[in-house]
Amino acid sequence: MSAATAHEHAEAHGGHDDHHEHHDPFWKKYIFSTDHKVIGIQYGFTSLVFLAFGFFLMMVMRWSIAYPDRAVPLLADWPWFQAWLDDGGKVTGDLYNMFGAMHGTIMVFLGIVPLAFGAFGNYVTPLQIGAPDMAFPRLNMASYWLYLLGGALMFVSFFLPSGAAKAGWTNYSPLATTTDLHYGDLFWTGQTQWLVAMALLISSSLLGAVNFICTIINLRCKGMTWMRLPFFVWAMLVTGFLLLLAFPPLEVAAIMQLMDRLAGTSFFVPSGLNVSGMAFDAAGGGSPLLYQHLFWFLAHPEVYVLILPAIAIVAEIIPCNTRKPLWGYKTMVYAVMVLGFLAFIVWAHHMYITGMGPAISTFFQTTTVLISVPSVILITSLLISMWGGSIRFNTPMLFATAFIPMFGIGGLTGLPLAFSLPDLHLHDTYYVIGHFHYVVAPGTIFALFAGIYHWYPKITGRMMSSKLGHLHFWPSLIFMNGIFSPMFFQGMAGFHRRAFDGGKAYEQISQQIFAEPNTFFANIAEMLHVIDADAPLRMIDLNLVTSGSAWLLAVFQVPFIINLFLSVFIGKKVSSDNPWNATTLEWATPTPPPHGNFAKEPVAYRGPYEYSVPGAPRDFTPQFETDPSLTAGSEHDSEPSEEIILSAH
Amino acid sequence: MADAHELTKTKKSFAAVGIALLVFTVVTVTIGLAPIFDFGPPGPDGMDFVLGLAVATVKASLVALIFMHLNHEKGLIYKILLFTVLFATGLMVLTLFADIDPIREQFDTLQTTRGWLTEKP
Amino acid sequence: MEIPYEVTPRRDTGLYNAKLGIWLFLASEVMLFGGLFSAYVFMRLGIQDGVDNPWPWGVSVHKNFVWLGAINTIVLIASSVGVVFAWVALKERNWRRYQIYMYFVVACAVVFMCIKTVEYNSKLNHHHGIKLVDNSVMEGTILNKTDRISFKGEKLTFSLNGALPAVLRDLEGDAFPKFKVTEGPEGTVGVEIQSLSQFKGWFADSRRAASERLTEERKRFRGELAGGAANPKPVSVVSSVTLTAAEPFGLSGSPRKIVAHTETALNYKDGVKVEGKLVNDDVLFEVHEVDLQLVLPTKQRDSVVWSVINDEHAKQQFFTSQSKKYQELLEYYKKHGGVIPEEQLRGRFLNVQYVHVAAEGHEGEHGKEDKHADVHTSQSNPTAGGGEGEGKHGPSKHIAVARDKIKFMGNHGPRYGTYYAIYFTMTALHGLHVIGGALVLLFFVVFGKKLYLKNPEHLANRVEVGGLFWHFVDLVWIFLFPIMYLL
Ligand code: HEM
Ligand SMILES: [Cu+2]
Repeated sequence: MSAATAHEHAEAHGGHDDHHEHHDPFWKKYIFSTDHKVIGIQYGFTSLVFLAFGFFLMMVMRWSIAYPDRAVPLLADWPWFQAWLDDGGKVTGDLYNMFGAMHGTIMVFLGIVPLAFGAFGNYVTPLQIGAPDMAFPRLNMASYWLYLLGGALMFVSFFLPSGAAKAGWTNYSPLATTTDLHYGDLFWTGQTQWLVAMALLISSSLLGAVNFICTIINLRCKGMTWMRLPFFVWAMLVTGFLLLLAFPPLEVAAIMQLMDRLAGTSFFVPSGLNVSGMAFDAAGGGSPLLYQHLFWFLAHPEVYVLILPAIAIVAEIIPCNTRKPLWGYKTMVYAVMVLGFLAFIVWAHHMYITGMGPAISTFFQTTTVLISVPSVILITSLLISMWGGSIRFNTPMLFATAFIPMFGIGGLTGLPLAFSLPDLHLHDTYYVIGHFHYVVAPGTIFALFAGIYHWYPKITGRMMSSKLGHLHFWPSLIFMNGIFSPMFFQGMAGFHRRAFDGGKAYEQISQQIFAEPNTFFANIAEMLHVIDADAPLRMIDLNLVTSGSAWLLAVFQVPFIINLFLSVFIGKKVSSDNPWNATTLEWATPTPPPHGNFAKEPVAYRGPYEYSVPGAPRDFTPQFETDPSLTAGSEHDSEPSEEIILSAH
Repeated sequence: MADAHELTKTKKSFAAVGIALLVFTVVTVTIGLAPIFDFGPPGPDGMDFVLGLAVATVKASLVALIFMHLNHEKGLIYKILLFTVLFATGLMVLTLFADIDPIREQFDTLQTTRGWLTEKP
Repeated sequence: MEIPYEVTPRRDTGLYNAKLGIWLFLASEVMLFGGLFSAYVFMRLGIQDGVDNPWPWGVSVHKNFVWLGAINTIVLIASSVGVVFAWVALKERNWRRYQIYMYFVVACAVVFMCIKTVEYNSKLNHHHGIKLVDNSVMEGTILNKTDRISFKGEKLTFSLNGALPAVLRDLEGDAFPKFKVTEGPEGTVGVEIQSLSQFKGWFADSRRAASERLTEERKRFRGELAGGAANPKPVSVVSSVTLTAAEPFGLSGSPRKIVAHTETALNYKDGVKVEGKLVNDDVLFEVHEVDLQLVLPTKQRDSVVWSVINDEHAKQQFFTSQSKKYQELLEYYKKHGGVIPEEQLRGRFLNVQYVHVAAEGHEGEHGKEDKHADVHTSQSNPTAGGGEGEGKHGPSKHIAVARDKIKFMGNHGPRYGTYYAIYFTMTALHGLHVIGGALVLLFFVVFGKKLYLKNPEHLANRVEVGGLFWHFVDLVWIFLFPIMYLL
């Protein structure tokens, strides 16, 4: 296909499509759409709803932790809660377990991944590589609907007699195999439905992953060579591979656990298992460890699925707002590839206490430490990118900037967990909860917020309010830290995770003193009415700090929600298609981009981050801008040849 | 590959591979059943496993290379498959290693039942 | 809008979209089956001798299935060849030949699935095993077609808080027993229930009512607490109900759902209690083989299995045949130097032997049978595949096995052990792939004409992509066949 004909082709079709689009009925345009942008928005909304729901579950849990012997306010009279609260209206262990397991599951599989990969990936990737859509638009739609179905099942499972799954988001066997087995209808128990829903979600992710990789490899526009891909696209490519290759083993685990539950097999049921004092009726001979291996083979790469898109979003926002190129672009690309590779061989660092011997655990300790190198490279590059820039601190940049130290804390606190010796102490304590939440909550979530603020003008044609943005950002930053930083201290003191009374039962641990009376922290706590005057601040009192912060964090999401919805109607209209003066291809499209994306076939003439190029007329030179010096004389009448495109820079 | 000559050649190679696969199937079954492949003592035989898998691997490569014409593909697919196979092997091998690590040997029940060895059944 | 590279390959990657897509998908399939194969290896090697169920290994176990598997291998290979020829036919623009090859492929898939069904059916319906309390195992057939507990129920007691009682699934006969509510929260007592649908409606209503009462009670309780009462009256809501049947109804209780049973009561795991009378809980069994792999050799002669079988002759048969094989081993190891290794001593070669428990009046044949027994045990297992050699032995006695002697029982379905579990999981998953692939290929041939006329290359691409998937399915089977059937 020669360049010229391709161009005409695209134009002809673009025109035709525009015309066509007006006739598409509503349901086809917005519901069963095959347009990657609509699907991206669908993903976005659904996952935000799930994030809010997961957050709600967590707020109930935090009540139980903070006030283990007080009735939950507001909820005690809801009919659904009758089965799960005790007589005094307090959260029961069962309810805590259910909410804990579902909080984890929903946040990871229905919230963050779909938002980061499904929503941003879908919306931005094809635009950034100059493609008219994803390679398989209908698969893309199927992927969203499978996700929605899986999510709906997860949600519906709360209303089954057995309630939703209760065995943790890790769903370890044999606990997960043996819970709720007494129900007559095993299929319709929460624990089984968790597996079914996961199978749907996994299928959805697989379709998505195939589609993304294909799109990135095959649909790059003219001139978009590998090293001209924005970093975001690279991250999506690696994420795609992580999903593609890591999810199937979890699917295997889910199928096997499903067989264990429904067909009575013993994949994960060891010989001689006793449940509630009775011999468990199964042949035995299986291995619970096998489940853990299969699970973590997915779940470690999964944490990179949670974090890579976040880093990538930040990597788009930082150069744009510092008006400087991304520092070490190539290094970052190689780092992300190495990271993707190593992600597959570190999984057993979650299993140090399962009795692995020294040889194999040395292997996993080594790879785990190795994988921190590329992670640090990524973060350091981002940090250096800011050095000496004239930074525009708009809302996306605020979130992007905060991301770096927050992710940094999360990452650095992970190092002790990489070694089996400290991990023996820290495993399954609040330290771990603090560690990975720093990565995913103030880390990934902040990056996702940044992304929303950043691309909102492209999606809607209007800016989000920056006042509300500030009102969203600063309290969120404070309360996120209020929630998660105490967890490190509690964890090191020995607070066990998944304890519905917040550690109250273990007095030796919970009564330890965190700060003596009238010291700095004790004074603050006193001011906040967490402790009485002149009392020491005990470890268990930190629960109140955390819980209070969590509820306040919820309050300060209100400005964001208002901003998100109202700005569609009353936000400031953008004055151009490229309001941030950014360089990547998505800003070359009309606003909002029509079905088919580009008005004119896009061509990439240069690398993705050409900010403040010496000698250039402006402080940014978009990828899609022809270079006058190279195409001089033939500017407007003919397409530049492939050679010229490729040799530009 | 569109010209007729090429296609005839392809057809021939497909047929040849088909026949080879059938032959190998017979070999596999023979390995399992026939006593000539029983190297060890009476009873089931570990050597069968090795031979059987070796033959299966040959068959699989034939299918992959000729039927799935991997032999005509460019490097990209090889790269993808290479990593896939690498990770799949990693999953299998590392999982196994984690399980047969010496620390667990001590608890192996074999040790506790060794006593009766001296007796004849 | 048109998506580029849908039909023609992109120059730098050499691939059109769908081909790249299918290869990526196959990569994920490699990981899927890679995970399953890893599980296979992990479980097979992870078996602890003497503790876990032994892996039934070697051909001896599934001799009759080997042939089915081998035929299926050939069928799949033929179909694979068919797909490539169909593709070539398209390239040559020969629609007729394309059709023939494609239908041939689909037919192969059908044959494959039929053979699979035969195999499953035989494993699920004709082969059973019972593991007794000392881990000795009897292989054979459960005859009363029910490992279930027959019971005449009179009264049901259950709670209104949970799900529908599991016992409803175990009711015998079509007619729903006539119940009357004799105890329960006020308002429900005296209600008569005639049918299942009525039961469900009544249950849902009563459950809602019970939950509302609970809400009220709890509100009161919390109110009193908040009002400062030190010891408020505890929440008490009747939610347990008892139904009495007009006349005793038949139940065949699933042992997996029942925690305990006595002469007069069945207790279900979900808390439902049935009162009435036990009819029979014995399991009628025809023994073909005794498996003592999990019993220490020193204890084999006193194993529970012999008291259950209660036939001195069968016992002798077992040990005679065992000692013959022991001689064989001894000889072998003498020739090759060394002692018999432990695995051999504990393995199935020595510890699984055919026995025949003759029905009354047929003892006279015993003398002959010993010889037969040897012939069979040294190469094959008469239970596998059913039928082989059984006719020669005259009728067998059906022994009744008391339930308290049984540790575990079942057919050779996925429950029976890790081998059966992985066998069924992997072959079923593979079967689903076969069905899926065949449907897609069928679609290409039935509805392909239009595309063929419009753009034959596009159809050829589709067939190529479908074929790639099909070959992958074949490739998986190439490994499944030896590891599941042969080795
Ligand atoms: C900002 C909001 C969040 C707060 C305050 C929060 C809080 C909590 C709390 C209190 C627990 C339970 C600890 C325990 O009892 O063991 C928990 C568990 C967990 N959270 Fe979050 N979380 C938040 C966001 C997230 C996000 C964004 C993710 C996901 C990516 C996530 C993933 C998890 C997981 C996987 C668990 C473990 C569940 C389990 O024990 O099985 N959380 N979180
Ligand atoms: Cu990890």
